[in-house]
Amino acid sequence: MIPYALLAPALIVYALFSVYPIYRQCDISFYNWHIFPGESNPFVGFSNYAQIFRDPVIRTAALNTLLFLVVTVPIQMAIGLFSAAMLTDKLRGSALWRIVVYVPVVTSWVVVSYVFAYVFNASRGGLMNSLLSVFEGHPVQIDWLAHTWTGNAVIWLLSIWKGFGWSFIIFLAALDGVPRELVESARVDGASEPRVWRYVIIPSLRPAITFVTVLLVIGATTVFAQVYLLTLGGPFNSTQVLFSWAYQQAFTNFAFGYGAAIASLLAVVLFGFSFVEIKLLRQQEA
Amino acid sequence: MRKKSSMKAPSRRAMSSRHRLVAAGTAALLLACGATAASASTGSAARSKTVTLKFWNAYNDVTETPVMNKIVIPRFEKENPGIKVEDVTLPYAGMEQKFIAASAAGNPPDLMRSDIAWMPQLASEGTLLKTSGKSWFAPLKSAALPGPLSTNYYRGSYYGLPDDTNTQVLFWNKADFAAAGLPGPPTTLSQLYHDAQVLTVPSKGQYGLGVDSTDIWNVGPYVWSSGGEFTNKALTKATGSMNGSVTSAALNTLVGLQKAGDIGSDFLGGAGAVGGETGFASGQYAMLYDGPWGVTTYETSNPKPSYGLAPLPKGPGGSISIVGGEDLAIARGGKHLTDTIKFVQFLSSPFAQIAMAKAGDMSVYKTDEAAEVKARPFLKVFAQQLLTAKARPVTQGYGALDSAFSADLQKVLAGQATLPDALSDAAQAGNAALEAGH
Repeated sequence: MIPYALLAPALIVYALFSVYPIYRQCDISFYNWHIFPGESNPFVGFSNYAQIFRDPVIRTAALNTLLFLVVTVPIQMAIGLFSAAMLTDKLRGSALWRIVVYVPVVTSWVVVSYVFAYVFNASRGGLMNSLLSVFEGHPVQIDWLAHTWTGNAVIWLLSIWKGFGWSFIIFLAALDGVPRELVESARVDGASEPRVWRYVIIPSLRPAITFVTVLLVIGATTVFAQVYLLTLGGPFNSTQVLFSWAYQQAFTNFAFGYGAAIASLLAVVLFGFSFVEIKLLRQQEA
Repeated sequence: MRKKSSMKAPSRRAMSSRHRLVAAGTAALLLACGATAASASTGSAARSKTVTLKFWNAYNDVTETPVMNKIVIPRFEKENPGIKVEDVTLPYAGMEQKFIAASAAGNPPDLMRSDIAWMPQLASEGTLLKTSGKSWFAPLKSAALPGPLSTNYYRGSYYGLPDDTNTQVLFWNKADFAAAGLPGPPTTLSQLYHDAQVLTVPSKGQYGLGVDSTDIWNVGPYVWSSGGEFTNKALTKATGSMNGSVTSAALNTLVGLQKAGDIGSDFLGGAGAVGGETGFASGQYAMLYDGPWGVTTYETSNPKPSYGLAPLPKGPGGSISIVGGEDLAIARGGKHLTDTIKFVQFLSSPFAQIAMAKAGDMSVYKTDEAAEVKARPFLKVFAQQLLTAKARPVTQGYGALDSAFSADLQKVLAGQATLPDALSDAAQAGNAALEAGH
């Protein structure tokens, strides 16, 4: 009985703030749901789900989400691992560098998004346009956030800059766990540095790589804040991602049922995706 | 959102594959779960002798707020001791969402001056007081102009009541016309398009026409005057109307003018684009469809343009402008309904309507027309244009339909889609929006 009693507070919080909202979201996705208490909410079956496949913006949003994943996850991991490798040696001032690399991770998305919005402001006063103007020798006025590719690029850049410090910390810890004797003996045996990494260090890091990959993929698939704050999905919905579109459906168009259907379907896809991903990576580890 | 900051770096042993799987699966579900619960706010239930009504609006600080705060509200408070009105001016963007969220949380303002386009959505969410059948509403209903009144009608009942109305007419720059050797404003659509080309002078950075955005408010008058539509009459389908041949042809002409550089940068928008009123005031846009606030804006602008007002040029569909304006949305969950209704009646009185007309808000009551035109003679042309103006599709799906249409037309202007493809996509999205509204 005591174990259950000890678990109870955590279970209650989990049930209240995780299980119930998940259940409620799935429930809402089957209704033409209204937010005002007491309003009638007609049951519409799978029609909110059917609408997903007829919605042209979903295609763009799904493609942008996928692009975001493909671009930001490997780059964050590569920079994170590279930084961890550089700072794991007895580099002078490494503690300070570690803080510098990790600070963006703990800053608020809202704050850094607004900072990026300022840097990439369309006016000549925008930091990036001002810099380019100096180099070009004439005024440059690029509307970074109002074009599809530049808007997406700024979103990617922000996400990589803010996110790589997290992979860095994980890899830093994992690198400390790589048996030194293995690395040393490989070097003594004459293995070049790339071969040491390929055959000794990277295999030792696989559990950390699995962990980082799964979490970053989940994070990338649920990208929202930076899109919402930087471009609002514009211009003409060309930078929408799945969650910004679900949010817009629910809180701008008040199509709560449809928004919930998008989020629920994504949850299922993501769960399956993570499952397969872990299985595959585990097979490689074995 | 990723919650990385609280995670500790795992050792290889600590993170077994099962744990990782469970953690990842749980995190996936948690992260994918949209938060839909609105936090409840009880609000103050205490009622003192003096009641304070909260009145949300998005009044213009320069033209409307001073009249409301210095003339209308003081007079109401004087006539109704014990009732105070707190005028809460909010940004227009997001006000509708804020009202719905506040209503769901049980703490709405007593009254909101709502864009007419929001009313069906607000009514469908159950946030508005039904005014049909109320004894105080009947005389106001019979006195109101039918166009503005229709914006309060949703599924067989009236919600709220009209507050002010407006529409767009043609603003034409006399100096630009004289320089181009044109005698006066165009009276037909084909003449308008021709004049737009003649009035475009690239060396001066001058465009023949300003079209302020790709939404229905701005594009609708061109489509309707050409005889096109955005939906069928029953408001059940956009396909066949939004991408129908007449609408497509009208839009094709506008797109062609934009590509040829005869329509200004305001059409596509974005940074660096010159807004319609800014461009018209500086003579950069020789013609612009605009509302009565344009006149009050140009009264204080520097330089002041020399311009004339004219009815919208006629096309095969007529001279069809768009009905704009605001309605008084009475919150169903408001705590001071009796006092709110007193304020609503006061806002509908000739005193308040004429006072606000001086700030550019046209009265919604036919009986006020002579007085408001006397106070502001320029309103006459707007009053005439209103007789044939069309309301936007009155459906709760209008917002979604309009944003889909606007985004797809933007794609065409940006060269990222062909017009038929974009309109087909927009019509499909419009169908979904209309379906949700039924």
